[in-house]
Amino acid sequence: MTDLLTPHVALEIQGISKQFPGVLALDNVDLKLQSGQVHALAGENGAGKSSLIKVLCGAYPPDGGTMLLAGEAYAPHSPFDSIGKGIRVVHQELLMLDQLSVAENLLFESLPRKHFGLIDRVALNRRASELLSLVGLDDVSPTQIVQGLGMAQRQLIEIAKALSGDSRIVIMDEPTATLTSRETERLFEIIVRLRDSGVAILFVSHHLQELFEICDSVTVLRNGRKVSTQPISETTPRDLVRLMVGREVIEATPRANPADQRQEALRVEGLRFKGQPNGAQVDFAVGVGEILGIAGLVGSGRTETVRAIFGADALQAGSIFREGRPVKIRSPADALAEGICLVTEDRKDEGLLLDMPIRSNLSLARLGACSRAGWLLNSVESKDANDMARTLQIRLTTIEQHPRQLSGGNQQKVVLGKWLLCEPAVLILDEPTRGVDVGAKAEIHRLLQSIADTGTALIVVSSDLPELMQLTDRIIVLSRGKVAGEVLRKDFDESRILELAYSEYMKSGESNAQAA
Amino acid sequence: MPKQPSTDTTAPATPTPTQSLLPKGLQQLVRDSGIAIALLLLVIIFSALSPLFLTPGNISNIFTQIAINVCLAVGMTFVILIGGIDLSVGSLTALCAVVAGTVLKLDGLSVGAAILLAILTSIAVGVVCGLINGTISSLWGVPSFIVTLGMLNIARGGALQWTDARSIYEFPDAFNEFGTSSLFGMPALFLVALALVIVAWIVLTRTVFGRLIYAIGNNEEAVRLAGHNLLAYKILAFTICGASVGVAAVLYMTRLTVASPILGIGFELNAIAAVIIGGTSLSGGRGSIIGTLLGACIIGVLANGLVLIGVGDFIRQMITGGVIILAVILDTYRLRSMRRGG
Repeated sequence: MTDLLTPHVALEIQGISKQFPGVLALDNVDLKLQSGQVHALAGENGAGKSSLIKVLCGAYPPDGGTMLLAGEAYAPHSPFDSIGKGIRVVHQELLMLDQLSVAENLLFESLPRKHFGLIDRVALNRRASELLSLVGLDDVSPTQIVQGLGMAQRQLIEIAKALSGDSRIVIMDEPTATLTSRETERLFEIIVRLRDSGVAILFVSHHLQELFEICDSVTVLRNGRKVSTQPISETTPRDLVRLMVGREVIEATPRANPADQRQEALRVEGLRFKGQPNGAQVDFAVGVGEILGIAGLVGSGRTETVRAIFGADALQAGSIFREGRPVKIRSPADALAEGICLVTEDRKDEGLLLDMPIRSNLSLARLGACSRAGWLLNSVESKDANDMARTLQIRLTTIEQHPRQLSGGNQQKVVLGKWLLCEPAVLILDEPTRGVDVGAKAEIHRLLQSIADTGTALIVVSSDLPELMQLTDRIIVLSRGKVAGEVLRKDFDESRILELAYSEYMKSGESNAQAA
Repeated sequence: MPKQPSTDTTAPATPTPTQSLLPKGLQQLVRDSGIAIALLLLVIIFSALSPLFLTPGNISNIFTQIAINVCLAVGMTFVILIGGIDLSVGSLTALCAVVAGTVLKLDGLSVGAAILLAILTSIAVGVVCGLINGTISSLWGVPSFIVTLGMLNIARGGALQWTDARSIYEFPDAFNEFGTSSLFGMPALFLVALALVIVAWIVLTRTVFGRLIYAIGNNEEAVRLAGHNLLAYKILAFTICGASVGVAAVLYMTRLTVASPILGIGFELNAIAAVIIGGTSLSGGRGSIIGTLLGACIIGVLANGLVLIGVGDFIRQMITGGVIILAVILDTYRLRSMRRGG
């Protein structure tokens, strides 16, 4: 560790290959990480980024190639092995022990001990508090159970975890996917601090502007092969996309200014959800064929609001109107009967049947139409599934494939397809492009616009402001469980929206959001 | 194998219906044939070791022996597919049997009426207890392991109380004869079990209910958010398990010609073993009825064959235990290779 501050090659891999049944995930990949530098790894989903990370941290043994860690041969047998050698990974999928406390999760690999192997709670919680404040989670108690925390808080804890040991190399796999811009800024501060202390960082993100903000150099993977490695200053986002995709990406064209007079599709009055701050309530309306964006910080009540409208969680108070007529929604079945569908935030836990055919996934919400008197009509189901797969351009070999084998973007299309088959009048999407690569993201955006053009009212919740500003006609901003303001397309402005998002938190002394 | 060209243009893979039919059947075949091959190997080994094994008399014997377990395992498959477990089926078999036995001996009923009423009663008792298991575990979110462990004791105690710990026997001859009769050279008991297998197979593969049973085991929340009534389907799975216990109890009575309050001890474990050996995942969502049938056959063949080649009862039990563990190891391995692929 003494030579940490003199720049040197921290990790060098050559000719790494990894074969899975039927797929060559990594094909002869080279990569060199310098200490004190941030190296970006870019590529579409399925390009081999995750496989490469898993090889680096010892989760998969490579089939060929050599790895040198600080000049010495490196062949980790397990992730634990790689942690011992100073390589930490911030995983994209948040693998946490839900029933344990934040502190125990943070320091799981090296719990401080007293005599007889008993856990030293005092030291544990003190160390955990330090780590939490490093990532700006001062409002989270080390003794809190992880289960109640939101996605962004979990992501920050995962990042804090990587700071817990003496790391020589930190690998971050999509660390910003669930973070708001302020949290991302803080993450970048942490990265800069790590970099300056001589740590080599491998940074993976779909947000290209982030790569240009924080990284020194970039390696692009495509189809398991290394396409290029170059200093970030010698490339442009446009070039990177071309390298990643191997073609030009057609961006969805920003929507033309919508007509002001729209027939109302859905109106929400005085909505209150569980855990909402006292006195706050949500009111808004969305018109036929309109795309309404909901912005706000994590914990501002965006997800809670849309889940309550869909009947996924109980509505505490308030009224919902469809086309001006009051409707009672007590369960998702009620919402579906009113033509309201919700694409949930977490596609793996709440959306997909990962180990059942894509065909079964697509028909799940409309089995009534695929059956007669309780008997499945296979031909109808298969035809619908094939048609939907073609419309959405889901990249599959057959509709009998399981979603587990698809990339994030294609998985998201399967979830979307499930709801589109229900022909929704109001389609609500919570973080529709999280963890989805640039190509698929643009496709999903174009798709959503064409759905709106057919007269469906869309409500899009997203932490990705540029996404909302490009996609939507109007944005309402939630702050601390209430609508802080509304911005029309002609007035879209990032700082204006952020100001509204923070507005309620500025008013009183309390600084923390009433979290999920 | 060539890689999926996921980057060149936006051309979608165009799946055709013919493409989708074949791999599905093949996949299922491969999944089930692993167990079928194991069964075939066992049969070959035992035929080589004992000349008595592959005789018509012995084969009929095996089918008779496994009939009860097949019945119980069919019901158990539904419960395990939704990620539950039912530990009460053994005790419940006894409760169903003694209540049905009492009905069978009621005065003033014709033989035919008494038999019909007894069968219906047995199934009704099973259904009610299954309904209770399902309702408590689903409505209040109590793990089914706990609820059915309780029911295991309640049913056993109930059976002993009902009969004052005495056995009921001297059933009508027409009833007792069924246990030893056969049709087309197959024991009648096994034919009933086979009928249950076929019905369950059709329900699981061809109906909306069957689809949702798998879906619930896969991802309960996704099913709920798709607007389905989770509670009803989960309760129904336990109720089906109870009904199959009712059938098994009648079959067992005809075979033993007696209804004892202490019959069926440990039956639940055999049924669970058949389901697991048959490739159904204990965490739910994955498995098949055909696998369950083959699993029950493996247990039956193993028990019968080992007796024939002179292996003692205790060693036999140890071997059965080893097979259960081996089956799960192989299944885990297969699943892992399947998930990594593609």
